[in-house]
Amino acid sequence: MHYQADVADVVYRYDGTMQGFLCCVFESFRRRELPCGICSPEEGRLTLFPEREIATDPARARRVLTGIERLGGGVRQRFMTAFLSTDPEKEQILLRYLRLAFATGRGVDRMLGDPDVAAAWQLERAVNGEAHHFLEFIRFEERDGMLGAVIHPQNMVLPLLRPHFCSRLPDEAFLIYDATHGIAMLRRGNEVRYLEMEDYDRETSPEEQQWQMLWKRFFRALTIEPRRNERCQRTHCPRRFWRDMCEMQGGCLEVPGQSRKALEEPRNA
Amino acid sequence: MELAEKLEILADSAKYDVACTSSGVDRGGRHGSLGSCVAPGICHAFTPDGRCVSLLKVLYSNACSYDCSYCVNRRSNDIRRATFDPRELAELTIGFYRRNYIEGLFLSSAVVATPDLTMEKMIEALRILREKYHFRGYIHAKAIPGADPLLVRRLGYLADRMSVNIELPSADSLQRLAPDKKKSAVLAPMGQIAAESKQNRRELQLYRSAQPFAPAGQSTQMIVGASPETDRHIMGLTEALYKKYSLKRVFYSAYLPVVEDSRLPALTTRPPLLREHRLYQADWLLRYYHFSAGELLSEEEPNFNPYLDPKCCWAIRNPAFFPVEVNTAAKEDLLRVPGIGPKSALRIIQARRMQHLGMAELKRIGVVLKRAQYFITCNGYLGAHGTRAEIANALLDPKAFGVGVQQLSFDDCMPKALPDAAPELHRLTAEGMDVLQAAALLKQEAVTCITRQM
Repeated sequence: MHYQADVADVVYRYDGTMQGFLCCVFESFRRRELPCGICSPEEGRLTLFPEREIATDPARARRVLTGIERLGGGVRQRFMTAFLSTDPEKEQILLRYLRLAFATGRGVDRMLGDPDVAAAWQLERAVNGEAHHFLEFIRFEERDGMLGAVIHPQNMVLPLLRPHFCSRLPDEAFLIYDATHGIAMLRRGNEVRYLEMEDYDRETSPEEQQWQMLWKRFFRALTIEPRRNERCQRTHCPRRFWRDMCEMQGGCLEVPGQSRKALEEPRNA
Repeated sequence: MELAEKLEILADSAKYDVACTSSGVDRGGRHGSLGSCVAPGICHAFTPDGRCVSLLKVLYSNACSYDCSYCVNRRSNDIRRATFDPRELAELTIGFYRRNYIEGLFLSSAVVATPDLTMEKMIEALRILREKYHFRGYIHAKAIPGADPLLVRRLGYLADRMSVNIELPSADSLQRLAPDKKKSAVLAPMGQIAAESKQNRRELQLYRSAQPFAPAGQSTQMIVGASPETDRHIMGLTEALYKKYSLKRVFYSAYLPVVEDSRLPALTTRPPLLREHRLYQADWLLRYYHFSAGELLSEEEPNFNPYLDPKCCWAIRNPAFFPVEVNTAAKEDLLRVPGIGPKSALRIIQARRMQHLGMAELKRIGVVLKRAQYFITCNGYLGAHGTRAEIANALLDPKAFGVGVQQLSFDDCMPKALPDAAPELHRLTAEGMDVLQAAALLKQEAVTCITRQM
């Protein structure tokens, strides 16, 4: 690539926010260099290269963002979505992508054959894919008229879940707790807030248990035994989502007769 | 009867209906109501048979007055019977929907007394859901063949998608296996729905207050493997249905022997899952790849090859069409290359406006080069040179030789042929051959056979 020659022996350290990262992009352009690493405070990566602390300056961040917006909705969208990823290489990938984008101009988001664009696209795809899985597999439980759910995502998917659930449940108050990152999204009335949260107790009221039991029985009844294909099930619904899905508790390995008995026991108790 | 038990019975009776899609409508939420729809549809769970659960799929009632021999709910079968109450069904739907368990409701029913009476009950349940609970989620309703056209019309204004099952691929089979159903009774509501949808589309353009009639269109399903029709016959029928009734989807369901009957395959018959898979692949070729049914199968070759997918089969039979130059070819031509689908074709077309595409670029775009490399050129250079045997090996569908461990109990760790593997593999293992050895042998034979065809 044309900019490979500019790689400098320096590592940028920024505060982990999007504004901070945009300032790193600014710095990279200002000094005409490509750092060999960009670290956020969460990852205490040890490097042999000298580090440079990049101060977050909202004015600079806005300049870079205006520039990105000029490149078209596709570029902006890809940058915003990919930034939610928790991939340790994401800053490097996005910096290369943005440098190429500023050099090429509009339409760069469609150049999927280019290695830098393809890398950013893969990040975007991974984040969008995970967010879509949560649209499918979130399980709400009701507590005092409010809905709550726990998820364990790899990436910061909450902002991507927001429009879908706000539209779907227009008059409901709900909370989605991202247990991996300790952030909750609370929607009440017409307002959405992101809160830091440490703990979430699952609802155990009898009504909620009754609903979950109904759902589980429906789920078991739907399975056609002669067509059993667990590999196919895992492809569509990977194991890591199972822990937050009530119908997958207890696994699906049981022989159907046994599972039905196991289900009915707590009901009789 | 307790609600949970009722739900279990009626879900169990409905599970052989394949359609569980929530696609075709985009409808945002609105204050004062509950729910929204997104056009691609959303699956909410996957059962251990790998099928998606998108809708609360239940029968309104399974107390059927018909006696179709292939059906579990037929009158002469001794099973538990249950019927929902419209209000309790609506409450159940809302409760599940709020918890994000489902996208909406799929309501079908056995014929209780008469088709008209059944439809009236179903309409009442849907009316409560839409008008009392202001439900804006997805509803798929099944029209009962033989019901009054007025009732079909009312159902269409409440549902998003409608379907009428044609059940079996020919009138003869229908006559033989489902004597209470007539071909004309099945096709009449289908034609009515198609005509009303067409008219409704015009109304929607003209009047702001027009109500949408089945905005997600209609679908149908047929059972494969219970009757002697060939794949060619089924594909021809499918194509005709898409053209004549503008269906959105045709579903196929591999016949599962649930009843002992001299007119039907024996109870020990395996469901033809691989055949069903091939039919779906061909169905996709019709809908998204601009293929026609006549191109896929011929009179000499009336069934799909179990070891090759229909697109690869076509590619082998039409070597003159290839290679395709990725940098200049039209989208329709790109779509004919094995390993390039609608998504990668679109990406190729977008990317080549900005840059020249070589093999490395195609790989990044997401083309399956394993198959595609033998059928494309990049800037005039062939993607790859291969012997006939190498090409045949790359094209073979690994699904047909699927071997894996499926644990039905905890002490069961032996590799077995997967349920959707080729029937020949099941036959060889049943005869006592080691499954891995059988798969290798079969693969060898398939490669030889395909090489000879090329």
